[in-house]
Amino acid sequence: MSEEILKALTQLFAIISKQDTGVSDAERNFVISFYQQDLDRETMGEYLALYDKYAEYGLDDEPASGAATATATADGEVKVEKKKRATRVNEAVRVLSLGKKINKTLTQKQKVIVLFKLLEMLVSDRNFTAQRMEIIETLASVFNVSRAEYKLIEAFATAEDASHPNLDSEDILLFDDQPPPEGAKVGYIDSGKLDGEIVFIRVKSVDLYFIKYTGRDEIYLNGQLVKRNSIVLFSHGSIIKTPKGAPLYYSDLATRVNRQAEDHPLSFNIDGIFFKFPNGALGLRNVSLSEGPGKLIGIMGASGAGKTTLLNVLAGLEKPSEGQVLINGFNIHDPEQKKHVEGVIGYVAQDDLLIEELTVFQNLFYNAKLCFRDLDDEALTTKVINVLGSLGLDRIMHLKVGNVLNKKISGGQRKRLNIALELIREPGILFLDEPTSGLSSRDSENVIDLLKELSLKGKLIFTVIHQPSSDIYKMFDKMFILDTGGFPIYYGNPVEALSYFKRQTRQIASDKGQCMACGNVNVEQLFNIIEARVVDEYGEFTGKRKVTPEEWSDQYKQHFNIERRADVREEPPKTLRIPTKPKQTLIFTIRDALAKLSDKQYMAINLLEAPVLALLMSLVIRFRSSEAKEGYLFFYNDNIPAYILICIIIALFMGLTVSAEEIIRDRKILKRESFLNLSRSSYLSSKLIILFSLSAVQTFTFVLVGNLILGIGWGQFITYWLALFSVSCFANVLGLNISSSFDNAVTVYILIPLLLIPQMILSGGIFDFDKLNNAVGQKGKAPLIADVWASRWAYEAICVRQFKTNPYEQMLYGYDWQISQANYRASYWRSELEKAVVACQENLTAKTDSARQVFAQNLALLKRELAEEKQVKDARLAKLVDGLSLTNFNDQAAAQLNDYLARVQVYYGSLQGRMSDARDSVIYAYEHPKGQPERSIADLKNQYHNEQLEKFLKNENSLEKITAEGDRLVQHLDPVFTPPYHVSNVFDYRAHFFAPTKPFGGQMWDTYYFNLVVIWFMTLLLYVTLYFELLRKFVKMFSKVKFTPKATS
Amino acid sequence: MKKLNLVFALLLLFGCSAQVANTDESRETTEVPTVVETSPVQLSDDIVAGIMQSIPSPIETSLLIKETGAAYSVSNLNDPTIVTTYNDSYRQALNLGVYSTDLGFANLYDKNQDVLNFLNSVKTLADKLNIGQFFDYKTIKELASSSGNVEKLLQLTQQNFERINSHLNDQKRENLSILILTGGWTEALYLTTLVHQKTKNKKLKEKIGEQKVALDQILLVLDFYKNKPNFPSLIADLKELQKVYNRVEIKTISTGKPVTKEVNGELVVEDATVSQINISDADVDLITSLTKSIRSKIIK
Repeated sequence: MSEEILKALTQLFAIISKQDTGVSDAERNFVISFYQQDLDRETMGEYLALYDKYAEYGLDDEPASGAATATATADGEVKVEKKKRATRVNEAVRVLSLGKKINKTLTQKQKVIVLFKLLEMLVSDRNFTAQRMEIIETLASVFNVSRAEYKLIEAFATAEDASHPNLDSEDILLFDDQPPPEGAKVGYIDSGKLDGEIVFIRVKSVDLYFIKYTGRDEIYLNGQLVKRNSIVLFSHGSIIKTPKGAPLYYSDLATRVNRQAEDHPLSFNIDGIFFKFPNGALGLRNVSLSEGPGKLIGIMGASGAGKTTLLNVLAGLEKPSEGQVLINGFNIHDPEQKKHVEGVIGYVAQDDLLIEELTVFQNLFYNAKLCFRDLDDEALTTKVINVLGSLGLDRIMHLKVGNVLNKKISGGQRKRLNIALELIREPGILFLDEPTSGLSSRDSENVIDLLKELSLKGKLIFTVIHQPSSDIYKMFDKMFILDTGGFPIYYGNPVEALSYFKRQTRQIASDKGQCMACGNVNVEQLFNIIEARVVDEYGEFTGKRKVTPEEWSDQYKQHFNIERRADVREEPPKTLRIPTKPKQTLIFTIRDALAKLSDKQYMAINLLEAPVLALLMSLVIRFRSSEAKEGYLFFYNDNIPAYILICIIIALFMGLTVSAEEIIRDRKILKRESFLNLSRSSYLSSKLIILFSLSAVQTFTFVLVGNLILGIGWGQFITYWLALFSVSCFANVLGLNISSSFDNAVTVYILIPLLLIPQMILSGGIFDFDKLNNAVGQKGKAPLIADVWASRWAYEAICVRQFKTNPYEQMLYGYDWQISQANYRASYWRSELEKAVVACQENLTAKTDSARQVFAQNLALLKRELAEEKQVKDARLAKLVDGLSLTNFNDQAAAQLNDYLARVQVYYGSLQGRMSDARDSVIYAYEHPKGQPERSIADLKNQYHNEQLEKFLKNENSLEKITAEGDRLVQHLDPVFTPPYHVSNVFDYRAHFFAPTKPFGGQMWDTYYFNLVVIWFMTLLLYVTLYFELLRKFVKMFSKVKFTPKATS
Repeated sequence: MKKLNLVFALLLLFGCSAQVANTDESRETTEVPTVVETSPVQLSDDIVAGIMQSIPSPIETSLLIKETGAAYSVSNLNDPTIVTTYNDSYRQALNLGVYSTDLGFANLYDKNQDVLNFLNSVKTLADKLNIGQFFDYKTIKELASSSGNVEKLLQLTQQNFERINSHLNDQKRENLSILILTGGWTEALYLTTLVHQKTKNKKLKEKIGEQKVALDQILLVLDFYKNKPNFPSLIADLKELQKVYNRVEIKTISTGKPVTKEVNGELVVEDATVSQINISDADVDLITSLTKSIRSKIIK
């Protein structure tokens, strides 16, 4: 208390006491005892002198002299009256100014206490004159105490007993052996035998309780004797002990007075739960609890005792191995029954569950938006501001939350915001894991105050608490104490706990739960007793405990008998009304977008990454060949195939890195929101919307810069962008998969190469698919192992489309592929078959197995390949081929075959010639357009066509143009001109790499679109695995495998 | 000198081996989908073979050029890097001939990098014409880059070109053969006129005059394809040249009996005749400038 305030109070005391009858000794003694509480003897003297001066104590009493001179003249009387009136006006002014001064410094609670003090002073000599009362009432209105409340306070202070009619109020409670008369509004608690009564008043506006005892018994408040008729503050955790009756705990009172609790029928019963860790150790043993609404329950225990485990089991996050947790009779671990209690549970984890990039307001606002479907933004804003206001967070509403390293708001504010997130939806049962850890004692107290207040509103609150201060400790209604190994060892009143343990260990003063002088509970001592260790002969502590957890647990079983509440047989009330799925998606998206947009580093890097990489790469590989006479020509840039590959890898990389941390980062928030039963698909969709948008922008800028610098025409812009975007989206979903499957970001980042490098190896751009290990590769088809990697599809898609649809090749492609195929048939295929015929003839009469085998193989090859030749038809030959077998092959058949093959050559040869002529005509027509100057097709080619890519797609670097694989011939010549062949059935999608079209469902599809569809199909599959968390389940299955032998303990 | 043989022999072989393969027309009973119209006149292989044979060997020409002591200048040859600008089969075939001549020329002067460049150009064009499979470039490259294997190289390339020619004939694409030949011939003539312009060598002048016969034969064959695109302008250009050549007189004077010689273990009969060429300097100049313009059109 500051000097100024004390002075103000002194003046108030003085002014009031000197009214009317003047200062009485009783009043003066009261003031002295008031000073004694706070001041040393010397200072007290000063203030007492001050009091005396203002109260005019020791001077001639005016009223007394007035009485003595009763016979004085009327003149004099009038004079005295006038003087009095002037004094009164002066004093009224002074009281007002004093009141205002106090208003500036004291809290409302303190001001109420001041009022009680002033009234108590009057009670000391029971001198309630109108003037005195008037001054106090004036002061009450200056203090903003409502008139009704003041009247009640006044009645409480002045009434001699509780039967006073002014005291018939809901805010009055009697602790007595006789119930109040029927129809009275006052509350009643049976005290057992008691002389007189203890009257409680609740000052609702500040939620304070005061007591007054009217009897003659010795009653103790927190171990201190309560004087008769004195008004005492009944603070949190206080206990009243009467000589004969049961003690009265603050919490009992609070719930009794607070009738709100009764509006929330709630039963929370925990029946004998056990919890087994995955490694088989027991985490909880036979824990039973039974609670109703309006309680604040603390859970304490040594570290590792299983507090958080218990909380998680109670909150439904973990499933007990035995026993059940029932809310209103609904088992919260039963997937069916769980639905009835959706939204009833709130959970505040120990860690922050805030979105760091958002402001305090935004955090709460979007959370609230997800809880209340039917409130519009305005109503929500009001609600949020109200909640923030009630938690004292309104001033920092627009500050960013920030993270632990980059603190914007204090730890206490963070914690309160965390609680606010749960509060705003008003869950019936709230679980908090160490809400005060890391907070200053002031912040801790604020937080627990808040919880207390909530519990008084009818919420059931469980809080794990670690080493609370005495004040905090006493605020709990009940304390549940666990010992190492999950043994329950105490369940009851917090203050009693110390006595209980002292008693069990036969310590002195076991009936004193708290310090007699200060009322403090030494919580540390509690654990010192529980965990006391045996001392060896040298006086050193040994590892052995005096009382083992099992022993404590046995004692617990003897002493505590849990009275099980009857299950409330109705669904708990719900305040939660979650929005529809699309709406949720929208909210998630906006929230996430806001968070990302406000993270400037994140945005800058994500948006600049792509164009910078594109700039770097394309500038480096913008290669001017010595063949290009006039500067850079796209045609001669040998780096284009590599560029396409790197584009894809970069798109994959960007897609993966941007998404890999998404879910991990959100995991805590997801844990909290799991109590809201929000839609997972909405959450994932919002992720996809944001990530896909980001990917779209990234790949757009990438292609824009890269293609522009490398001179890849605008015509191919969409080709590149769409493919890269698809790949990036694929990577996004892949990233989300690993993000949701692993527990920390480092693991995920280590995993990225594992997912990326195979994309490079099996892209087809680095290693030739025809030259892979025979076990994985199949000649003439892109290997199956590559089919699961998006890079291979994207690479093929871009390469083939870039080649096929550039303005130069587009004009000629129709001829080129026919020329190529005719050439293949006439030159390669035909000659291979001729060789086969010769081989058959040579081995016709051979007897050795190997020779027979060669014969059979060649014959099979002939049959198969000739059957597939569709253009050169010959009915007789078809019959011959059909009937060919090892036994009927002869020279005549060989001659027929050779004859046919010669015709094939002529046919395809001339086809090639004609196609080649036609192609020349097209070029001629292009170069000699009607009515326009001549132009060269070479310019068109230089601008849009790429030599290296052509070599690549035509497999020009390989000398192997055709190979025999078993009974079939595989074409390696000009893959990009070769339509898929050897298609086995309608579902066979496989073709050789760089095929211009793809088979599926009995049709041919353009490679580009087909491949994109494949990538999106894979993306969809990944989304399914993401939705059902298949990868996570798989990873979990693996993590159960133990690598180290179980430690024996 | 052996090296000199190489390329010109190749060129010659295109034409000379034209009669090797023979397809029986009657066998073509397959249903041919009509894509474009075929050349209206079917050129008999025998005729072509005869024409090809009558074109004199360019070996002498190249020898002469070397003997004049003319310096090698790569700028006189076609640029090997512009090979990618030849996009239609017409230009590809013509320039395959041109590059082949240039390849031989560079090889004659032992310019290894240029040899490789021209070899690459030849390969590129052969691939585009789908006759690349007949080149064993790996071996050619090995042989060309190390001296002393000329015999082998000559033999190998001979085989290659025989097969190419036969292949083109089989496939009725012999118009490519005549284009390759024309390209090679024009390039050889161009180089000769160039050197002659500087040296005014008499033998070269005679050589230029001798080409009258070759040109007549070439035009005879080209005429069969006059309906194909691009051919008319080439024919027209060569006819311009022919007009000049019409003023050139070639007289054959017998000098006695034919002589039998043994060359590489084979008996060869040599005519004991001498040709006398009458050509005016003005005509040579005209031929020189005309050839230059035709050649520049070909390599454009």
